[in-house]
Amino acid sequence: MLDVRDLTKTYDPAGTPAMADLTFTVGEREFVCIVGSSGCGKTTMLRCLSGLVAPTSGTVTLDGVPVDGPPKDMAFVFQDYSRSLLPWMTVAGNVGFPLPYKGLSKAQVAAATAEALAAVGLADRGDSYPWQLSGGMQQRVAIARALAYQPRILLMDEPFASVDAQTRADLEDLLLDIWRRYDITILFVTHDIDEAVYLAQRVLVLRRPAHVHEVVEIDLPAERDQLATKQLPRFGELRSHVLSSLRAPDPAVLPG
Amino acid sequence: MIRNRITDWALALVLPVLLLVAYDGWARTADDFFFPPLSEIGGTFADEWLFTRIPTDLLPSLVRMLAGFALAVLIGVALGTLLGFSRTLSTALDPVLQFLRALPPPALIPVSLLVFGAGDSAKVFLIALGAVWPVLLNTVDGVRGVDRTALDMARSYRVPAHARLTRLVLPAALPRIFAGARTALGIAIILMVVSELIGADNGVGYVVQLAQRGFDIPEMWAGTVLLGLLGFSANALFVAVERRVLHWHLAISGRATTGRASSAPRRRSRRTTPNPTEAAGARRP
Ligand SMILES: Nc1ncnc2c1ncn2[C@@H]1O[C@H](COP(=O)(O)OP(=O)(O)OP(=O)(O)O)[C@@H](O)[C@H]1O
Ligand SMILES: [Mg+2]
Repeated sequence: MLDVRDLTKTYDPAGTPAMADLTFTVGEREFVCIVGSSGCGKTTMLRCLSGLVAPTSGTVTLDGVPVDGPPKDMAFVFQDYSRSLLPWMTVAGNVGFPLPYKGLSKAQVAAATAEALAAVGLADRGDSYPWQLSGGMQQRVAIARALAYQPRILLMDEPFASVDAQTRADLEDLLLDIWRRYDITILFVTHDIDEAVYLAQRVLVLRRPAHVHEVVEIDLPAERDQLATKQLPRFGELRSHVLSSLRAPDPAVLPG
Repeated sequence: MIRNRITDWALALVLPVLLLVAYDGWARTADDFFFPPLSEIGGTFADEWLFTRIPTDLLPSLVRMLAGFALAVLIGVALGTLLGFSRTLSTALDPVLQFLRALPPPALIPVSLLVFGAGDSAKVFLIALGAVWPVLLNTVDGVRGVDRTALDMARSYRVPAHARLTRLVLPAALPRIFAGARTALGIAIILMVVSELIGADNGVGYVVQLAQRGFDIPEMWAGTVLLGLLGFSANALFVAVERRVLHWHLAISGRATTGRASSAPRRRSRRTTPNPTEAAGARRP
């Protein structure tokens, strides 16, 4: 579905690129997590995939169509979710904000907004303002906005980085539930290895400058559970595997 | 809560009442021709301004002031948005704008009388020209300060450019625009009076000046009091509108005073642009 080929991005022509020859593909309805250390170019990658910035070289194709601007069926949940919510609009206003421009009627916007808010457990907070909600709730509003847009592919940039552990676990399960219920492909960036292994079918390990260092297939049972899954010996193995892959010396920079 | 508001009101009234009483007591004993007692000023005020001079002088003043103010806000926001978006344009226009801004508006009265004649347009022009700067400069700052993440969000959801402008950029800049407009309102009132001192045949400023020249001291004072009341109410009205329109901003920045926003403000001083004060008036666009 999503095909990324030799993607390179250089912000400063004199310096090192932020992303170098990044290549991978994502299939229909896949849940792919991308891990990488801070500053390795994860956000840069997502911004290129979403057509917000043009790569220096390389191509992104979505369903065979080259991406040269924000594609129609894509939604992006930003790393800094609270700044992506507009404080002068209510929660419902924020969730429904992009919809009229997709051609939805007023009634359709209201229906889609209500459904998305219900899906994230905020059905009764539509009339609140984002700043009246807790951080975790705000994050759910940002997710609801993405759901209401009915994308076929969802890009998420460390969406749970700034919420507490319990909220984070709840949001992870919410996301898995949404992924199972809706016909949706998810590309999820995180630097939390547990989170990546818990959520994904496949984990891409990114190294700096952003390129795929290793692809780890997550062969855990499809049904995930915060306690049971994380106690499986296989979970521990996978997480160590990803961790060592992140840490291992890069053969490219080794002498000889 | 309600008790608090009543005591606040009472507290705010103490000083004005004391001042009036003190003035009246002093004026009665001093018996100075230039400082008549309150009763005399009040009497003239009632005779002249309630309501005989309202259609002939107050309304023309107000209409000119509001027209000039509206023009200033319109032009300031439109031009400010353009300059906020385009560095090229703002660099190109900067010298001209700095020059125009440096001109004291009263110095333009002779020119505007020549160009527009002695009618209303000269006065409206003067008011607009003086009041446009704080709106313009604050709009530029406000538009430049719009959060990048919010803009990226709108773009990634394919919100078209015109909707990004009206539903994102302008609302985000609104706190700054309001700060500028509030300063502009004060300037508009000052220039309303100034514009009526030369080449006018009606208006509150005209009446005050005429009274002063004719040594009709109570009338002069009555007009002066009216101008004070006018400025006071205009500002109060403005603040009331601001409180409605910007309730979200006041709640976030912790300045909500009346019980509009129910819950306490959380998080974030990041998005709220650096305290929108009139200070921007001192900066370059
Ligand atoms: N707009 C920009 N202009 C110049 N350099 C940038 C820009 N955005 C990112 N960079 C640089 O590119 C590199 C990768 O940044 P990026 O934000 O993609 O990292 P990240 O993996 O998302 O990090 P984090 O996990 O901290 O969010 C960094 O060195 C950063 O300084
Ligand atoms: Mg990032």
